[in-house]
Formats: sequence, C-alpha cells, structure tokens
Amino acid sequence: MATTIIMPKQGQSVESCIITEIRKKVGDKVSVGDVLFAYETDKASFEEEAKVEGTVLACYFKEGDEVPCLTDVMVIGAEGEEIIGKGQQVNKSTGQQAGEIASGVPSAKQPVDSLTCGLVDPITSSLSSEQAFASPRARRVAEEKGIDWRRLAGSGPEGRVIEQDVTRAAHTQGALSGKARAMMAAEGLEAPAKGSGLAGNVKAADLSAGLKAEVSQSGAAYDDVPMTNMRKLIARAMYNSLQNSAQLTHHLGADARRMQALRKQAKKAYEEGRIDANITINDFVCYAVIKALRQFPHVNSHQLGESLRIFKKVNLGLAVDTERGLMVPTVPGADDLDIVSLSKALKKVADDCKKGSINPDLLSPEAASFTVSNLGNYGVEIFTPIINVPQSAILGVNTIVPRPKDLGGGVYAFVPYIGLSLTYDHRSIDGGEATRFLKTIATEIENLDITF
Amino acid sequence: MTMSKTLYIDPKEIRKAGEIKLPTIPVMPYDKSIADELASGNFTRDDLLRIYRDMFTIREFETMLNLVKTTGGYNGVPYNNPGPAHLSAGQEAAAVGMAYNLDTDDFIFGSHRSHGEILAKGLRSIQILSDTELTKVMEEFWGGATLNVAKRGYEGHDVKELGIRFLLYGAIAEIFARETGFNKGLGGSMHTFFIPFGIFPNNAIVGGSGSISVGAALYKKVNRKRGIVVCNIGDGALARGPVLEGMTFASMDQFRTLWEGDMKGGLPVLFSIMDNQYAMGGQTRGETMGYDFAARIGAGFRPDAMQAERVDGYNPLAVIDAFRRKKNALLRKEGPCLLDVVTYRYSGHSPSDQGSYRTKEELEAWQAEDCIIAYGEKLIAAGLATQQDLDAIQQQMKDVLFEMYKLAIDDTLSPRMDLVKQSELLGDMMFSNGSADTLSDAAPEVNHPMEENPRVKQIAGKERFYKDAEGKPVSKMKSFNIRDGLFEAIVDRFYKDASLVAYGEENREWGGAFAVYRGLTEALPPHRLFNAPIAEAAIIGTAIGYAMCGGRVIPEIMYCDFLGCCGDEIFNQLPKWQAMSGNILKMPVVVRVSVGSKYGAQHSQDWTSLCTHIPGLKVCFPATPYDAKGLMNAALQGTDPVIFFESQRIYDKGEEFHAGGVPKEYYEIPIGEPDVKRTGKDVTFLTIGATLYRALEAADRLKAEFGMEAEVIDARSLVPFNYQPVIDSVKKTGRIIIAGDATARGSFLNDLAANIADACFDYLDAAPVVLGSRNWITPCHELEEAFFPQPSWFLDAIHEKMVPLPGYIPATNLTTAQQLLRAKQGV
Repeated sequence: MATTIIMPKQGQSVESCIITEIRKKVGDKVSVGDVLFAYETDKASFEEEAKVEGTVLACYFKEGDEVPCLTDVMVIGAEGEEIIGKGQQVNKSTGQQAGEIASGVPSAKQPVDSLTCGLVDPITSSLSSEQAFASPRARRVAEEKGIDWRRLAGSGPEGRVIEQDVTRAAHTQGALSGKARAMMAAEGLEAPAKGSGLAGNVKAADLSAGLKAEVSQSGAAYDDVPMTNMRKLIARAMYNSLQNSAQLTHHLGADARRMQALRKQAKKAYEEGRIDANITINDFVCYAVIKALRQFPHVNSHQLGESLRIFKKVNLGLAVDTERGLMVPTVPGADDLDIVSLSKALKKVADDCKKGSINPDLLSPEAASFTVSNLGNYGVEIFTPIINVPQSAILGVNTIVPRPKDLGGGVYAFVPYIGLSLTYDHRSIDGGEATRFLKTIATEIENLDITF
Repeated sequence: MTMSKTLYIDPKEIRKAGEIKLPTIPVMPYDKSIADELASGNFTRDDLLRIYRDMFTIREFETMLNLVKTTGGYNGVPYNNPGPAHLSAGQEAAAVGMAYNLDTDDFIFGSHRSHGEILAKGLRSIQILSDTELTKVMEEFWGGATLNVAKRGYEGHDVKELGIRFLLYGAIAEIFARETGFNKGLGGSMHTFFIPFGIFPNNAIVGGSGSISVGAALYKKVNRKRGIVVCNIGDGALARGPVLEGMTFASMDQFRTLWEGDMKGGLPVLFSIMDNQYAMGGQTRGETMGYDFAARIGAGFRPDAMQAERVDGYNPLAVIDAFRRKKNALLRKEGPCLLDVVTYRYSGHSPSDQGSYRTKEELEAWQAEDCIIAYGEKLIAAGLATQQDLDAIQQQMKDVLFEMYKLAIDDTLSPRMDLVKQSELLGDMMFSNGSADTLSDAAPEVNHPMEENPRVKQIAGKERFYKDAEGKPVSKMKSFNIRDGLFEAIVDRFYKDASLVAYGEENREWGGAFAVYRGLTEALPPHRLFNAPIAEAAIIGTAIGYAMCGGRVIPEIMYCDFLGCCGDEIFNQLPKWQAMSGNILKMPVVVRVSVGSKYGAQHSQDWTSLCTHIPGLKVCFPATPYDAKGLMNAALQGTDPVIFFESQRIYDKGEEFHAGGVPKEYYEIPIGEPDVKRTGKDVTFLTIGATLYRALEAADRLKAEFGMEAEVIDARSLVPFNYQPVIDSVKKTGRIIIAGDATARGSFLNDLAANIADACFDYLDAAPVVLGSRNWITPCHELEEAFFPQPSWFLDAIHEKMVPLPGYIPATNLTTAQQLLRAKQGV
C-alpha cells in the first residue's frame, strides 16, 4: 500500500514550512534514507528522509511552496499503484484524518451534509463536533468580545478552549462596535475578521448571519460574496505592497498654529472673493510636503528593485475615500502650483474620483511619485499608511491635537500639533533620511510663507 | 523564682517491698428507721412526705411518657412523640435521694436516662429557694415565656406550686421539642436541663458527663465557687474510656501535692453511679463487667478508694444519708468521691426494648420491693400518713402533670421553632460570637508582673520582622516567631482573665512539647497551668465542663493525630452545647492542636478537615507569627469553641508579610478572614496552614520560569470562611489551586473548591484544582516529599490541568485520568 509523506510539524509554534528543494520527482525510485525534499521554517532548515522504499507516485507541491504542517506532500508506493485520498489534510481541530471521513465512515455525531465532500472545512467540522469544549471563562470572554469560540483550536487540557485562545483570537478580529455586539448577542450573527469601520472596526452592517442558524437549515455555513473588481484591485495593491516592500513608519508632530492661522486668513480671503479656492488644512500640508520633497529627491521616487527612479517633478497622489472604495488619483507636476492652484487641483481629482469621471491613468500607482493620505478629519491620531508601490513612501496626516510645548523661559502651554506618519520603503531610503525628510515637512508646515 | 518540681522520686522508697492495702468499701451501711431519723432531727414530717411526693412525681412523669410512646396518648388525650424516651421508672429513690442535700449552687450532670434526676433536683430547688428567688428565676427565664404557659389556669397563690408547674411544663415542653421548653426544644429528652436550678446537661452519649462534670468541679475549685458537682452516670458508663479518664483527672495527686494555699485539696466532684444493673441489654454485674460491685472501681483511682460506698438506692433515706456524708467530704476537699447507688429500671432501655434479656420473675421481684410503695408503707407504719394522705398526694401530682401535658402539646401555646420560615434561626444559634476581655470578676493570679517574666524579656530582644532594618535576614534565634506570637497572646490573656486555665500533657515545666508555653510556668500558679494526665478525652471533656460553668480554658492536644482519642468530646460535646442549650451555655474553649511532621503515620496527620466537618466548631490554622498572635487573641476574646491548629514545621518562622513586623500591642485578626499574602494576576493559590510556604516557592518558580504571576492567599481560618477575597481573586485570574496538607479525599480543600466553582463558575478558565496529600499513611520524613504537596505539584497542576507551560516537564501525574484511576483503587 502506498505511503503518504506529510510535512512534519517542527515544534508547537510552526504552522507551515517552505519546500526549498524537491530531490525526488514523480517516477523516481527511492530507498530508505534518501532525502525526498528539503524544507525550512523561519528558523531552521530540515531534510525529509524516506522511511519506506518505492517509487514516488505523486508530489503535490513545487519548490518554493509554503505547505501547512501535517499536509500530504508526496506519495511513495509500488509503480502503477493507485493513490487513494490524494492530497488531504489532517483536520487539526479534531485530530481526525480527513481521509477517514472521505472513506465514508461517518461519525455518528456529524451531520451527513458535512461529509459529502472529501475535504472538510475545518470550521464546519469543528462546529459539528460535539467534542469541542471551552472553559466558562473563555465562553464569557468570547461573548464579550464577540468571538465564536467553537472556531478556535483549544490550547488547554484535552483541547479545551481557554481564555488565552479567545484573547488571541480577539486580536485578529476587529473590535466590535457596541451596536454590533448587541446584535451579535441578540441575533446570533457573527463578525468578520475585519470590519468596514475605521481601523477595521466591525460595524453592525458587517455582521453576517450566524453559523448556528445556517447549519441547521442547509449545512452551508457561510455566503461567498464575490469581490468587485475595485475591491480586488485594492486588495491586490495593498497585499503586494506589504508583501514586496520593506516598509516601516515614523511618527512626528508639527506645530499647527501657523497653519491654522493661515487657514483662517484663507477662509476670509475666499469669503471676501480675493481667492477662488477654499483652502483646506490638507492643502497646506500637501503644499509643505511638496516643498520638502524638493529637498529630498530620493523620497520622491519609485523603488524598482534593482534601481531607484528619482522623479524630477512632484506628481502628488492623494488617497480618497469613495463609496466604491479607496482611490488614489494623482496631481501631476504639483510642484509647479501655488497654494490656490494646488488646492483647486486636489479638489478636482478628488471630486472626479467620487463622481467616477477620473482619468484612469491618474489612478495608476506609477502615476504618482509620492502619496498623501489624510485621516485627520476622522480624528485618527496615529496610523501606518500602506505605500502605494512602487512609490518609495507615503505620508499619513493625522488629526490636530493639543500638546504641551516649552515656549521658553520656563513657560509651557498647550499648542495644537498635527500628527505626521511617514511610511517609507527601507530599500529606498534609510531611517535617518526619512526622519530628516519628515522633520522638514514639519518645519515647512510651521513656517509656511504664504500671504492672502 | 524557680518553679521546678518539688516531688522527688526516691528509688529506695519506690523499690521497697511491702503490700498495698485497699480500704474497706462499705456495702449498704444504712440501718436507720424513720423513727431514728425523726429523733435525730434530720427530717420533719413534711420533709418525709415531700420525698414521697417527689418520687411519685417522677414515676408519674415517666409513666406519662411511656403511655405516650406505647399508646399514643395520656389520660385519653392523644399525642405522638417521635423522639426518644429513656425512662427511669424504678430509680426514683436514687434520684430524689441524690438531690435532697443539694442546693442550687451544687451542679448535677446526667446521663441519657436522667428525667428523674432533673425533676428531683428541680423539685428540691423549688423547695429550698425563697419565693422571691424562685419568682425571679421563673420570670426571667426566656423572658417569662415558659412561665406564662405554665401558669395558665392556675388560680392559686403558692409560688412553690407554681414552681412545680413551671418545672414539669418546661421539661415536658422540652422533651416535645417546643420553643417554650427549657432549651427551646433543641435539647430534647436526653438533653433537658435547667441551669438556674443547678441542673447541668445530661448527655445522650453514655458516660459523656464522666469528664465534663470533672471540668465543672475544676471550675468551682479554681474560681472559688460554692458548691459541689454530682456526676450521675449509669453502671454501663463505667466501661467507657472517657469516664475512666475523667476519674483519673479528678483523682490527680497534684491537687494535694502541688497546688498551693487554698487551692490545695481534692476536686469537689461526686461520681454518682445510678447502678440500675443494665447497660443496654447487657448485665453489668456478672456479664459485661468484672468488678463484682461497681463501687470497687473507686479503689483503682485513689488510696481512699474515693470513699466509695454501695448504697441502697431503693431506700431514699439511705441515699440521702450517703450523699450528705459525701458532700461534706467534698467540702472538706477530700474529693473525688464515689457512690454506687443500687437501683433497678423497670422499663427497657427504651420503649422499643422488649426486655428479652431478663425474666418476668426478676422484674416482678423488684416491683415487689418497689421504692415508692415500700417508702409509703414505712410512712404509714410510722404514723406519718394514711393511705388517703398518700393517695391525695398522688392525685394532686397527677392532676398537675396532666394539666402541664395538655399545655405542652398545645401547638398554639407551645409552638415549635419554625426552621422553615425562619431558615437561619438555628444557624444563628450555632455560635455565640461573644467578645469579652475576661469572664471573671476576680484579679488574675500571677506570680510576677508580666514585664519581669523571663520569656517576655527574651522576646523583647527579638526582631519582630524576618529582616532587620538593613534588610538582612534575622537569625532564627533572634527572630520573633510563631511560638512567640502564640505566647504573647496567651500570656496577655492570663493577665487579663482570672478564669483562664491551660493544661495538656506537658504544659508546665516543659513549656509544652513545642515550647510555646516556655516562661508561663514562672508566671502562673499551678492551678492555672498544669500538666494533665495522658488522657485526651479528659483534657477536652474537662475543658467543656469548665467552659459550661463560665470559665475560659485552653486545653492542648499535643499531636493532631490524638484528636482521635477525644473524638466524642471534639465531635459530640464541644460543638453542640451552645445550640443544644438554646444558647444558654457558652463554650469559650480554645483547643490548641499541633500538627506534626517528620513523625510518620500516627504523628504527622492534618485533621483540620474532620473538624471543619463538625457543625459548631470554629477552626483556624495560622501560618505566620502575625496571624498566630492575632487569631489567638481573637479566639481567646471570643466565647466559642475554636480548634486552633499549629504546624510543627513552622513554629520558628519569622514574620515575612506584615509590614513593620508583629505589633507588640494587642490586636485581633477576625476568625474567618483569608489573607492575600502575595498579589498576582495569572493564577490563584489558596493554602491552608504551612502549605503557604510551598505555594510561595511555587509562585517564585512560576514567575522566574514562565513569567506567570500567582496570587497567594492564606486561608488562615477554615470555619467560618469569608470567600469574598478568594472570589475577587479568581474573577481576576480565572484559575485556582487549593492546597493543604490534609489527605485529599474528603478534605475541606474539596469544600473550598466546590464553593469557589459555584461562586466563580463563569470566571473559571479551568476547574479548581485541589492539591492535598496522597490518600496514604504519612510515610517517614525521608519519604514525605511524595506525600505532602510540593512546590513542583503546583506547576504540574497548572501544566496538566489549566494551561500548558511551554517546555515544562511535570514531575507528577496530576491528570484527571490518573486521579480517577486512583479513586477507583481507593487511594
């Protein structure tokens, strides 16, 4: 009978390994002790040796694949032998071999529906198993935090879900709004890992019908909702950004008194018809950013892997929240514009995005050399914006908060500070340069030389 | 001042040849006629007729109860009495004769067959009290509740007649469990008593009074109170160890050889053996005992054989004569004395006893010599009464008794406690919860001012915290330790409360086997601190009697294991009398119990759980000097029985927790309050006694090796126990290990665990884990680590039953599976 080779579990915390080299390919003969494949965790490298002899009948992965532990990798058997239960997974939460289920021996406690396909969804199977237990405290905390403990793999004795399992899970699920929590308790709804609210907060609208109810009706424990193309685009861009760059964020504040004073003057000038744009705080920040970018050309760049593309002009991207999702239009040649023109240009691209009339070329990440994302209006005090790759950096603009400041002569006062969060790609820029750049933005904000 | 022993054991004297001469024990020495007695002026005609009346009253009382039990009513008025009725018909002359010479300062204790003794002593007290005194007693008792029913329908103005109604009603109501009874109906037939008449508890445990009465005599002697104590016990009780221990205690030579001044002399206790020939169904003489005559046992205790006599208990005048002489001997400090009062019970042990163990002929032969009939005939023969006179007395008493019977069974006039509606009523009676600096008006007798005491001086030089001012650990010799904490509380009380006495098996010169009392010998005269015989039943039993009379006492049980030797006293007597008396009695007894270690299976057991199981005992087990002193102060300030456990493992522990060390001043730690010794957030350890220090060691390891913080709570007390601090802790940590040195099965640890699981269910991340000792014999010291909970066991329990500790390898198997396997095997 054929022998299935699984990805071994190297230690409690390791969940998957990367296959670095496949030494035996399908059809190869192996003897006991032959290295079948090499793999590594984030800490060490290992080789898997054959414990049986025979011919490699199947190999389910290729080099570079990340393989969950205890997943089938290869099958060794007699030449021509038929493989049964190919490529299956150990169901970790119940400790049952998925293959066992596929072979048609239903457990008395499991609804038949969940056995119809060979691969059992781990959620469904753990739900349908009556063997899952949670401590009273874990249940209580789970209810408070809106976590379905039955989804969790217990770390307590006998696999019991204990408090620490719930609190860990709570870190990966978005925080619940009060209304969402109340609805979950009352209607048995469940929360997604991340909600549509700010910082992923789960809002009432994000809740989906509870598993309990659906299991009893049809056995389908969820709805698959196709993502819009827009959503896919954003998802891909964000994911790529985090996967393929070396980004980190610095936070720094700037005295906003000058800017607020200018804003008042600008408002007055606009109301009195002396200028034809209602200049916002964000406009002033962008104006200061452009001035700073001129002094730090390395920041005004694209990271191309082997090279850095330094732009001669500032093509400023602006993150805009629209009904369809996040959009980042570009104002090309923004460094040519005075404050009024800049304000008008930024307003135009934002409006175009909201109306859906934006020129698609302006939405390309390649169109901008640097991006500003402003969450200050929402009261966000600090955040880590994600770089719109291949750009080298992005500036997050936070809300203005009063902070104590030494005014000299032993006098301290609360002055308004605007928070600035610079995420940059360390491949393009070093920390020192990034800090100096960020400081320069602050200095420019504090010393804006504009009159209305 | 030196207080070393003055008794010299001279080998020459001890080894000298000779013979032991036993004194002659008189048998039925009384030979007077009624005419003789009248001539000598011992009695008037009224006295002699009243003796008849009293005997008949008892007979009719027992007849009434027997008819209720066997026919379901009395004089055609039905009543069902489901409770016991151990009747004494036939023994009336013995009871009335016993009581005749006693006044209300003389106390009687009884057996489970004591209705006759109670009535005899009650009737005699009514006779000798002035009308004013008697009225006061009746009106003040239960605020007049008993009297108010007893006097219903009485139109006369004779206080003594009213007194008889009161006595009969109070006794019947008590036997029928009515709230208006002498003990609120909580004592019942076998525990009916009335302190204002000097009637102390009778006792359902055969021989229970054998040691308790001796403690009452000790109280009278030490506190210079008037009167003697009569211990009425049956001939069957003479087989019981506690009775023989009580007699041993009462007979101690030291009362004559070591006690000083007016304390010199024997205890005023008279063992009155109501020798009715039967012990349950066994005949004492000829079958179950070997003494031939019960009086003979006196010779085993004192060279004067306790001045024992065998008395004709069928002739009341013979009994009166004997008791008069013995009372005088006791007042001359010649006690203890013993009377073998020969009598016979007509009824069976109880109404269910068919008397299969004796012949009809035997019963009829005794009835032919019936004590009441025979005495009546003598009165007629002496020309003191006619049959009509006697019939009139009988009718009068029958009428009163019938009236009182009807009042006692009236549910409106004589209600029972409603323990359903008033669900906490009896609970509130279990403890008196009193607080009193002293229980005596006298000035405490001490040998010198406290500051001159050598131990007090020695302690003054000690560091009262385990580290000195520079933070360096203090050497054991210089550290104020648990024994010092106990000593300070106890010596303080000796100087406050003249009634306080302490005794045990090595309490005086030795200073206690564990040196807690070192220095007390110098401070106290022998009658306040003395060595008791190795007789745990008597040590506790006498303490109970001492406390019942109003004194404070610290008996010591040297090793916890010896609690088994005073099981009846600890389990049946000490905890029960406060509630059984309807809260008339208090029980200020602090039993010091030392829990051993290193001494194997019979000297290293922790029996705290046995004591917590018994309702009516307070139980504490301090583990630090601060707690030891504060809890001992609270125990000694209170009026309840406290089993005060101490651990021999930690007597020399310094104070590691209380900031500033152990205060020199007086302070109390309320019994029942656990104490958080260390705060933490990840798991709670709740410990009993010396286990605290192993829990702290475990907490240190947990912190160092796994970064988890244990909150360590010392239970300090077991009964009562305030769960709130533990609940607060568990709500925080979600996990609790409850640990102590008692063997785990059936231990109080499980009680704690169950209540915590109940109170904190929704907060628990794992079931409460109990770490007790293994259910084995305690092995020798070298093997103890496998038996008593160890620091590693705490980590094992956390890892195996609560939350896995990364990389931890448990030392023991504490898994549930193993636990169940052991249970299946009974270990």
